[in-house]
Amino acid sequence: MSAIEIRSLSKSFGAVRAVDDVSFTVEQGTVTGFLGPNGAGKTTTLRCLLGLVTPDSGEALIGGRRYADLAAPLTEVGAVLEATNFHPGRTARDHLRVLCTAAGLPPARAGEALDQVGLADAAGKRVGGFSLGMRQRLALATALLGAPRILILDEPANGLDPAGIQWLRGFLRFLADDRGCAVLVSSHVLAEVEQTVDDIVIIARGRMIRQGALSELTSGDHGVRVAAAEAERLRPRLEEAGATVESPESGVLLVRGVPPEVVGRAALEEAVVLSELVGQRSDLEQVFLDLTGDPAPPPGGDALPVQTETPGGTS
Amino acid sequence: MTRLVRAELQKVFTTRMVWGMLALSLGFTAIGVVVLSVFSGQQGTPPITEPRGALNLFSQAGVGLVFSFVIGTLLITGEYRFQTITHTFLVTPRRARVVAAKLLACAVVGVMFGLAGIVLTFAAGVPAILIKGGALSLIGGDVARLCAGVVAAMALYTILGLALGSLLRNQVAAIVVGVGWVYVLENLLVALLPSVGKWLPGGAAQAVYGVAAPLGGHYLPAWGGAALLLGYALAFAAVASVTTLRRDIT
Repeated sequence: MSAIEIRSLSKSFGAVRAVDDVSFTVEQGTVTGFLGPNGAGKTTTLRCLLGLVTPDSGEALIGGRRYADLAAPLTEVGAVLEATNFHPGRTARDHLRVLCTAAGLPPARAGEALDQVGLADAAGKRVGGFSLGMRQRLALATALLGAPRILILDEPANGLDPAGIQWLRGFLRFLADDRGCAVLVSSHVLAEVEQTVDDIVIIARGRMIRQGALSELTSGDHGVRVAAAEAERLRPRLEEAGATVESPESGVLLVRGVPPEVVGRAALEEAVVLSELVGQRSDLEQVFLDLTGDPAPPPGGDALPVQTETPGGTS
Repeated sequence: MTRLVRAELQKVFTTRMVWGMLALSLGFTAIGVVVLSVFSGQQGTPPITEPRGALNLFSQAGVGLVFSFVIGTLLITGEYRFQTITHTFLVTPRRARVVAAKLLACAVVGVMFGLAGIVLTFAAGVPAILIKGGALSLIGGDVARLCAGVVAAMALYTILGLALGSLLRNQVAAIVVGVGWVYVLENLLVALLPSVGKWLPGGAAQAVYGVAAPLGGHYLPAWGGAALLLGYALAFAAVASVTTLRRDIT
């Protein structure tokens, strides 16, 4: 059984269809990135999963059960959500102790969770004086209170400084690899999660766009780009080796169907000096950029031109 | 359930607001006791050495109703304002249990406010009566009933605050509406339209206190006031539940 299963989930707020027939699963021991531009429906999906928002149709299940049916939810699922905060007049430790009391956990868990997120020194301070990054860490501590096997994090990197983001990445990998947790982490920035996640789910305007293992989506044969003044001399050898070869511009070949080594060997044997030999990135980033890209040009005259003309391009 | 009530009480007592409200409530009680003692028998106030005056004196234990009301309001509007309601419902997804725990916690806080007021009233009022030459025999069944009424009214008003807070969710709005009601509208209605006022929570509380109604009006009998208070508490509890149980938390 999957740790998290979203099945044909739909939810409208008034006339806005926030989530439209979204389905995906998250397995134990993996980190899944839940990606989409702001307003794509990520938060609504996660809040449905946590029983905070009632879906119009479909199901969002934790280990096969609805969140509301979990006997001790904090020990099974930890969540860090956006638009969740703390009473400024309460100390970090008291916040966690209240939750421990309600969940029937020993109060000592509060201190342990604060240790885990590196907030032990601030335990007795009122949250009103916390920075955004400290609040994010405290939110993470609340998620860890019950030592759950499933973690759901909505934009956890918001407000963290670069060192904090680095730490968070390591921490999420630790939870998945060493603790066998299932981690579902949302973000509107692909680069933020790309190095951390095993699987990704992309949604936009409430609909599923893509899902699958990150390696599958990013690998695949996207070709090898070769640049050399005498690039055309490589063509016969490459075609002989079974490659399809295109030349998008003079002195550049786009080679598909063979690994980069074959291109390198061809260059060696033909004694062609290469100025560039690079495996093409997947189109994932492009797909994501298309989804997140603002269709309207940004205000102000200093913005980058929308279309870049290649000077001296021949066509 | 016990642990949920304990958690709600922990929420109340881990912020400083509760102590401020308790101090204000007791402050108003203290002022009332001092004023009634000093001006005992002057300008038409009944002397505190007589049963009616003594009862009036001890009823000062309950003048801080509005402050326990505010605590009830904060217990729910604070959750919306600071978005801690998400944590609360994540720990306890069965929201009916959260509402029940909050209602019980409000009752506990209200009882605490009531008892604190009674202790202060006795501590200051008894010496005052003795100094004015009254006898301790003035403290009889009426005062005991009054004390029960103060405790019940405090609990009810805390629950009322919770209910209004659940309905409005906006902290400032709930407190302004609540304070305006308790201090202005309700007082006016009880004083000027006793036939309507006696059916209001304030009128019911006065009935349980057993103090005389102004302008020759009549409150309900004490048991009727108690029943009415209970009815209000249940109605407010229903409001708090209905407005909290199904709402999407976004």
